[in-house]
Amino acid sequence: MKKKTNTARLTPGAIILRLILAWLIVTFVLFPNINIIIDVLHEDGRFSTEAFTKLLRSRRAVKSMVNSLVLGMALVVTVNVVGTLAVLFTEYWDLKGSRILKLSYMTSLVYGGVVLATGYKFVYGSKGIITKLLLLIMPEMNPSWFSGFGAVLFVMTFACTSNHIIFLTNAIRAMDYHVIEAAQNLGASDSKILFKVVLPSLKPTLFALTIMTFLTGICALSAPLMIGGSKFQTINPMIVSFAQAPGSRDLAAVLALFLGLMTIVLLYFMNRVERKGNYISISKTKEKMHKQKLRNPTANIIAHILAYGMFIIYMLPICFVVLFSFCDALSIKTSTLRLSSFTLKNYIALFTKQDAFRPYLVSIVYSVAAAVIAGLICVVAARLVLKSKRKIDSFFEYGLLIPWLLPTTFIALGLMFTYDSPRFLVGNKVLIGSIWIMLIAYVVVKLPFSFRMIRAAFFGVEDSLEEAARTMGAKPVYTLFKVILPVILPTVMSVAALNFNALLSDYDLSVFLYSPKYQPLGVIIKAASDEGVNENAQAMALVYSVVLMILCGLALYLTQGGGTQAIRKKLKRKS
Amino acid sequence: MIEFKHVDIKYGDFTAIKDLNLTISAGEFFTFLGPSGCGKTTTLRALVGFNIPASGQILVDGKDITRESVEKRQIGMVFQSYALFPTMTVYENIAFGLKVRKLPKDEIDRQVNQVAEKIRISSQQLKRNVAELSGGQQQRIALARAIVQEPKILCLDEPLSNLDAKLRISLRSELKRLQRDLKITTLYVTHDQDEAMNLSDRIAVFNNGYIEQVGTPYDIYNHSRSEFVCDFIGDINRLEAAMLSDINRQTGASLKENLTGFIRIERVLSLEKPHTARLKGTVEDLEYNGMLAKYTVHACGQTIKIVEKNDGREFFRPGQEIIFYISPDDIMQYQ
Repeated sequence: MKKKTNTARLTPGAIILRLILAWLIVTFVLFPNINIIIDVLHEDGRFSTEAFTKLLRSRRAVKSMVNSLVLGMALVVTVNVVGTLAVLFTEYWDLKGSRILKLSYMTSLVYGGVVLATGYKFVYGSKGIITKLLLLIMPEMNPSWFSGFGAVLFVMTFACTSNHIIFLTNAIRAMDYHVIEAAQNLGASDSKILFKVVLPSLKPTLFALTIMTFLTGICALSAPLMIGGSKFQTINPMIVSFAQAPGSRDLAAVLALFLGLMTIVLLYFMNRVERKGNYISISKTKEKMHKQKLRNPTANIIAHILAYGMFIIYMLPICFVVLFSFCDALSIKTSTLRLSSFTLKNYIALFTKQDAFRPYLVSIVYSVAAAVIAGLICVVAARLVLKSKRKIDSFFEYGLLIPWLLPTTFIALGLMFTYDSPRFLVGNKVLIGSIWIMLIAYVVVKLPFSFRMIRAAFFGVEDSLEEAARTMGAKPVYTLFKVILPVILPTVMSVAALNFNALLSDYDLSVFLYSPKYQPLGVIIKAASDEGVNENAQAMALVYSVVLMILCGLALYLTQGGGTQAIRKKLKRKS
Repeated sequence: MIEFKHVDIKYGDFTAIKDLNLTISAGEFFTFLGPSGCGKTTTLRALVGFNIPASGQILVDGKDITRESVEKRQIGMVFQSYALFPTMTVYENIAFGLKVRKLPKDEIDRQVNQVAEKIRISSQQLKRNVAELSGGQQQRIALARAIVQEPKILCLDEPLSNLDAKLRISLRSELKRLQRDLKITTLYVTHDQDEAMNLSDRIAVFNNGYIEQVGTPYDIYNHSRSEFVCDFIGDINRLEAAMLSDINRQTGASLKENLTGFIRIERVLSLEKPHTARLKGTVEDLEYNGMLAKYTVHACGQTIKIVEKNDGREFFRPGQEIIFYISPDDIMQYQ
């Protein structure tokens, strides 16, 4: 039922809160991104399209745009096939060992970006163990075979299934098993049920995933940068290299603008489809999904072969990264596994040598701080927006969602090109080179996701809880802290954990904005994967990767996988 | 005592309640009854303070509370969804309001235990999380949480509608017992006429933002003041002109034949009584529900329902002829 609230006058506290929020949004979300557009369209204070013509004249730039589009489209096909199969293998069909399959497919949740690219490069690269094996079989093979379009596509296909694992799994679980039983009862075969009943009901999810995949493809940075080689460079690596030279900064900005426009258009379509609603289930009495036996023996065998083939591809790089992280530098360099070369030295170094641990500390501090700040901002803003009847408060909503429309590199460039000179909005300080700018960027990119999730959590809290508290005499602020916040706390915590995971090994933002004194993990790991780097650095990169996966896995387990409850139960039983 | 004086409640352009006037006495169990969307919950929420009337006054013990904030009204409420705080234990839920009032710890403890006993919640259950309890238990806790505050007025918004039929009936009598013991003025919102008749001292029947009738359950059932009330409460038969004229002819009554007549189905008799019309019809259908047998009968060019106790007498079969008797005094007519 609708409620009537009268718009009372704002208290001084509420006004200050609004002013702070407005300043944050204007200074760090709106201004830098508008500034970069103005920058591109102006030359010597006049309107100019010079940057565009310069871009079109640069063959490398044009090539990178074409490559990005090709990569995006190819990924749509491969990721949808692999991702859908991964979910069908673990959620829909009853395969042997589906738990272990699931675990391996879920590794893409904790293993992405530079860390993943490093791992694949380590295994398949010119000195990698697989390449060595292949050379034994085919000595005349090119040792640098794993580079270019094919290699990037392969790596990204297996890296980008994480969205399928999350969203498609949920979609299948949300289906009503009675629908499948009804189809069986009407005489439909297994394949008919899959193609005519199950997949069509997943269509909206698959469509959204397709757009997300395409966006990931055109915005790819670490895989093309590290594996693409000179033959296959896409837009974002190009932006990184253009942005580093003063003469081509405007080119970087135009490319970022192009990516931004593409993203906005695609997200617009995605939103339209989302709004049409989904038709996962209209049942009032839903029956939980059961797994299907593959009754056709040939199909069953093929499914098992594919499922375990994928298992091997997912696990190979991870296994070797873990194995070699326990090896001495020489075996890492030569990719040889010998029992005698196993050592704990690398791990001991991580925790005893200050300079080894430092990047970890830097990344953890930055990520925790950014996750907490983004969470706080979004809790305050979501509460403001939901409780307010004032139209003007929806400014906060749109302001916080804007970074969602923009690729990370665009946001990074905006901040980079705006705060490299003193600005009134930040008290005439230069932020570039300071320790703050990367933290700001980390927070900004995480605002839209956090806001959407936290707003949904607030929505999920029944109005009557608040009303009940008020009938017992509790004031609004007391109610907020004692009743509402505890209810949404689990969501806030899991949002913070997901943000922490994503930022911990971030490379895309960090590469533009890190302070040289405080290099974050992503930058260090990427550097360690370059050819010709000293072997100690490489060993450290492997250790970093392993610890990173453990940390991310732990954060996911505690906030998403019911880990906290499990631990609480155990503690309870003990006491 | 609660008084609503010329209360209008609006949602934007939509007027949910029009010129409501109502007086509820202290200690009364008073029910707002009506179909969904009729304004009964809206009126209740205005009393609690979640709606501010566009015009008019709400007075409690002579004091105008129309614009007083919810926190200060001291009106307890039990919500349809119970609105128990999911992050707190049963104890913490009940103690919430007492903590807000900053009572000393041992006093809170004493009061919570006292109310727990009254409402039959064990000390074991007090330590549990509210999500671990059944619907019926959650209901009791919602009630305990409201009455531990010792409110002047207790408002219950369809508190039993989420429970299964049996539990609903057992909690109903418990509720009545509690209200009698505590003597709290109680306002109860429901769309279930059985519940309303069973519990209430008086009932207000709502329709489309208006009150159609206020009265005791007996009055409302037997002397329904409008067609709506008559139709909404209990089962009725509509009597058309042909049958009315037959009844007038046989009994010399002066029922208006241009208006529909209404008669409760249990007032269509199978045994003759003085001053009744004797009518003849054919059984079309028989509905049997254990205790009662309900016949659909065709008579005077219309259908009429007749109910009989299943006390061992023989059933009529479809197609069989049936004789029934109607007293003109039992027929209600509305302009």
